[in-house]
Amino acid sequence: MKRRGRGIACMWYPIGFTVAANPSAAVVKINEDGTATLLTGTVETGQGSLTILAQIVAEELGIATDDVHVVSADTDTTPMDTGAIASRTTYVTGNAARLAAEKAKGILFEVAAPLLQVKADQLEVCDRKIQVKGFPQRHIDIGDVADRARGVNGQPPIGSATFNPATVALDPETGQGKPFATYVYATQIAEVDVDDETGEVEVLRIVASHDCGTPINPMLVEGQVEGGISMGVGFALEEEILFDASGRQVNSNLTNYIMPTSLDMPEVVVEIVDSYDPTGPFGAKGVGEPTCVSTAAAILNAIHDAVGVRVTSLPATAEKVYAGIKAKRAQEAKQITAG
Amino acid sequence: MTKVTLNVNGETRTASVPPEMTLLRLLREEFGLTGAKLGCDVGDCGACTVIVDGKTVNSCLMLAPQADGRDVLTVEGLATMERLHPIQKAFEEKGSLQCGFCGPGVIMSAKALLDENPDPSVLEIRDALAGNLCRCTGYSKMIEAIQDVARGDNRQPVGESA
Repeated sequence: MKRRGRGIACMWYPIGFTVAANPSAAVVKINEDGTATLLTGTVETGQGSLTILAQIVAEELGIATDDVHVVSADTDTTPMDTGAIASRTTYVTGNAARLAAEKAKGILFEVAAPLLQVKADQLEVCDRKIQVKGFPQRHIDIGDVADRARGVNGQPPIGSATFNPATVALDPETGQGKPFATYVYATQIAEVDVDDETGEVEVLRIVASHDCGTPINPMLVEGQVEGGISMGVGFALEEEILFDASGRQVNSNLTNYIMPTSLDMPEVVVEIVDSYDPTGPFGAKGVGEPTCVSTAAAILNAIHDAVGVRVTSLPATAEKVYAGIKAKRAQEAKQITAG
Repeated sequence: MTKVTLNVNGETRTASVPPEMTLLRLLREEFGLTGAKLGCDVGDCGACTVIVDGKTVNSCLMLAPQADGRDVLTVEGLATMERLHPIQKAFEEKGSLQCGFCGPGVIMSAKALLDENPDPSVLEIRDALAGNLCRCTGYSKMIEAIQDVARGDNRQPVGESA
């Protein structure tokens, strides 16, 4: 019969490694029509990084996300990036983009200050305008200021910046130091049915709570968590590279290397735990890789809760789970006989 | 060489092809319709899914001559210059695709499902997508988008259905 179980697993994950140099650079150019152009070396692979970088620049400049043209991953024009790796883009590249936008904005503030008869530090941006803090009726359009910065002041509003997470080398004696800039945390809970006659595991539901700092784009955060969980389900129950005696992979195809289909995936509930990291762009950290860290552990804990079997090698195939159930029954029968 | 004549996205198309050519290669190489993707080429991944006479097929497993005289719909046949198909619009709004390689196949599977069953349950949607592998999304936002279309949140005005 089917037995229901629940398991929980928690994790932390580092964002912004500092063991080696880990820089990102960005250039932000504010155009005379009030739009902006961002040059970044990072690569979009569908995770939505370029959307998030555009959002960060837009937020810094008080313009709309659609107003930011992103030029990316072109060695002719963009700064080299450490990579769309290590769950670092929002944090490291995002910080570089924000700093570059801040510098370009600083040029506009210097130009706008005498026009509005205030000091530059009394200005702020909002709705495509530069305005006096506390007196939003005193404002000039960003595009007009950008045009004047170039045409009258002779200083086009272009900012470039680099962000490299702060490094504290690890002490060779104690191993102490600061290997990463910041950390994210998550807890996932899995609910499973285990068939105690076949060992087959069905994952019914996964609830995932993830801290990623301030979620700049919650829909994209959800997409990352849902995708990571599907990789975690595969890792827990299905995916295994098999080799023959000579070391040749025997399942190098999707017929025999089994990964989750839409029918294998449980209902996934994503909870974003909103927090604020003062070192991240607008409080953001990262979310990519951390999403699949707890899934397999939660599922295997749920299997244990359902049938009392600890599977210690992945994937927990029906065969392994059933072998565990059989061994447990044999052990229990022995104890009854001995008693 | 074999002469094949088929209706592709509402247009009659003809080509002279080797008899062993697959429908996928015919679409991509002869007709320039590269929406259907070449993934595994053995019918496992579903990236090449198109609709033939109302049913989804893996076009990598169907020979071009087998499609002779039939109606083939590919992802290119869904949107017009003016607007996306409601399924495409819903996928865009929900963020249903990430890398997008599986997208054309998934969208064709969803189209065939909704044509046959306008109000599918979540399980029926999962069943319809089971032949389309996705490594990025965990399928969640695809299922939500298809539910949105079924509920009518993204329906086109009457008389403009694709």
